[in-house]
Amino acid sequence: MSSDRAKLLSSALRRLADRPTTIMEVCGTHTVSIFRQGLRSLFPENLKLISGPGCPVCVTSQGEIDGAIELATRKNVVMATYGDMMRVPGSNGTLGELRGSGSDVRVVLSAMETLRMAEEMPHKEIVFLAVGFETTAPATAALLIEARKKNLDNLSALCLHKRVPPALRALSETDGNRVDGFLLPGHVAVILGHEPFKFIPERYGIACTIAGFEADEIMLALVDLLEQIGKNRPSLTSRYDKAVRPEGNVKAVDLMNRVFNTSTSTWRGIGPIDESGMSIKEEYSLWDGSRKFDVAVRNMPEPKGCRCGEILSGTITPKECPLFGTGCTPITPVGPCMVSSEGTCSAWYRYGRKGDLKWES
Amino acid sequence: MGKLNLGQGSGGRLTSELIGKFKAQFDDVNIQRDLEDCTMISPEWAITIDGFTVSPMDFPGGNIGKLAICGGTNDLAVRGIEPKFVTLSVIAEEGLDEEELLRYGRSAASVCHELEVKLAAGDTKVVPRGTVDGLFLTVASMGQPLGKPLGMDRIKPGDRLAVTTSIGRHGATIGSIRFDLDVTGLSSDCAPLWPLVKPLAPLPGVRAMRDCTRGGLGTTLCEWAEGTGLGIEIDESSIPIDEGVSSVCDILGFDPLHLACEGCALIAYSPDDEDRIIEILRAHPSGIQATSIGTVVERHPSMVGMRTKAGGMRVVDMPVGELLPRIC
Amino acid sequence: MCLAVPHVIIDLAQDGSAMAKAGAIVREIRTDLIDDPSVGDTVLVHAGFAIEKVSPEDSEELTAMWDKIRELAGEEIDEFR
Repeated sequence: MSSDRAKLLSSALRRLADRPTTIMEVCGTHTVSIFRQGLRSLFPENLKLISGPGCPVCVTSQGEIDGAIELATRKNVVMATYGDMMRVPGSNGTLGELRGSGSDVRVVLSAMETLRMAEEMPHKEIVFLAVGFETTAPATAALLIEARKKNLDNLSALCLHKRVPPALRALSETDGNRVDGFLLPGHVAVILGHEPFKFIPERYGIACTIAGFEADEIMLALVDLLEQIGKNRPSLTSRYDKAVRPEGNVKAVDLMNRVFNTSTSTWRGIGPIDESGMSIKEEYSLWDGSRKFDVAVRNMPEPKGCRCGEILSGTITPKECPLFGTGCTPITPVGPCMVSSEGTCSAWYRYGRKGDLKWES
Repeated sequence: MGKLNLGQGSGGRLTSELIGKFKAQFDDVNIQRDLEDCTMISPEWAITIDGFTVSPMDFPGGNIGKLAICGGTNDLAVRGIEPKFVTLSVIAEEGLDEEELLRYGRSAASVCHELEVKLAAGDTKVVPRGTVDGLFLTVASMGQPLGKPLGMDRIKPGDRLAVTTSIGRHGATIGSIRFDLDVTGLSSDCAPLWPLVKPLAPLPGVRAMRDCTRGGLGTTLCEWAEGTGLGIEIDESSIPIDEGVSSVCDILGFDPLHLACEGCALIAYSPDDEDRIIEILRAHPSGIQATSIGTVVERHPSMVGMRTKAGGMRVVDMPVGELLPRIC
Repeated sequence: MCLAVPHVIIDLAQDGSAMAKAGAIVREIRTDLIDDPSVGDTVLVHAGFAIEKVSPEDSEELTAMWDKIRELAGEEIDEFR
């Protein structure tokens, strides 16, 4: 984006921000984009952006990681997953540390790489640790459909996928929630379309705009949100039309529905949320890692003192959390807000301690 | 304190912390302390040491042999010190092809030849399969200063900053091979810096130089800001980044400021000398992309800020842990 | 959540895979999730899969929004000139 456009949007935001407003960017990629492009410095003081659950990986619960780690240490198992997953802590370390102690844990860029791994290593059990929201779940579905077609019996998925709309419902219902608007995740909306988000303005009166990821796309969506909030007419709008169709990606949704059921899932820092998880359907049970290896994903209690749930809903700031900076740091993270390198707590830890930056233009 | 992990070797914040803890095991009297890439052990001689392990050992733009001599001597070059001697320790894994080892030796020798550096001592060990990853090379380098050794203690507010070439090429090259990406025109920047920076060493306006290795330009900037207690401001649009590097960053989710360089120096100098310095650098083949990128300031002490292409300002920090491709 | 990068499809295979170009990179992607992929399409690729085709032009609604923003920011923008 040219800095002229940025100035234009920055002025528009300043005009619209006539009262203190809190907007949550739901998506970790938005968080990173806002950070990397220095957009916060272009926002008016009245506009406060808080980071949401971060990313699907960061909200993977301790119990889920523990189950994955236990499985990865079994003889003959090769575990493959996305890079982000390597640093998320279970109750006794991370997959990255496990790799350091000799287990075969590999990073893949695509679920389909595991198909090739299974064909090339017929005597190993390849387990794909399937994480992500509705954007990666269709890929896992395609993988399992392909594995079934090819009758590959040494490939399975440990399914930790999560769904976004139920989490937004849970955040909206949190006591003391101060969020006036959600900057909605553009790529989840690419898959789901508009419909699954409509309940948020309708039921909770919170403004919603689907946003792209370029600087101008994000700022444009914020202008839209501030207008909705200013006029007190919360609705669902989309400013990412170049990729999001109102009906979403029907093919991708069909694939997900063929392979997954809806289930309850535990989110790090938030706790169990109804309908927010995906479990593999009976027909694909031969490729379901948790059944095949009888993996126990225990419902671990959230780490004592972790208040990510309240930070995520904007109820408290990181400094009000008793673990912040002591038991919980970017090097030994506890909750998702610290696990994600661009999470609210991680950013506060790294930059907040040095005091506020006052940049001169 | 648990077991070591790869993140502690990635050159960012975790590495600094580990080094700090290790050094604390020595008594102060037994440490010759210097915050720079090499240390003056007498008025005439400087010394440094560096270990090299890279997977794959061959990569576009170089191999582990070339990398070892470049990396070892670059730590001298950036203080204005002419490399004179290297010593080389070879730890090779049982099963490594002998011809392959000799080929890396020839690459190392050819850099020594270019720099007129003598191999003064060496050591070779072959260890059982599985105890090292192919080949580890360790290079200690010695050299003599042309003038007063450069260092960050000379940096002043108002000084300008330049990079000698486009950033992140080594890290992006290695990342692309590890993740099997086919990138047109991308190769490591692995190169000896001395021929490029030698004409700068005697200029009084040159304050300090660093080669941006592990942790990339971002880490080097942070080390200077934290080491001097001054602020640094850079301009994103002026930082040279090749298309191959930015494509790798887009797809793997990396920040180009955190990618390793092996032939790129960051230079701090008096603003009066800017034109001359850039002209000297650009006259050398490995400096044609040299350009100024920012300024040393008094505000926001110890922090690095970057004016972004979007017109905003953001903090530049060291990476925490190993660089891993991200989907989110 | 969901870093997706635009790629241009340059070659299609029978098995649902395709070669696609993003900047200086050419790589294999999967097209299982989109309808009628064809060479020349710009697609958003997330974790190795094309998740949607991207339309090259701004929608009318977006163009109208830009006009509104210029109006809204009008006076203040003059200060920058």
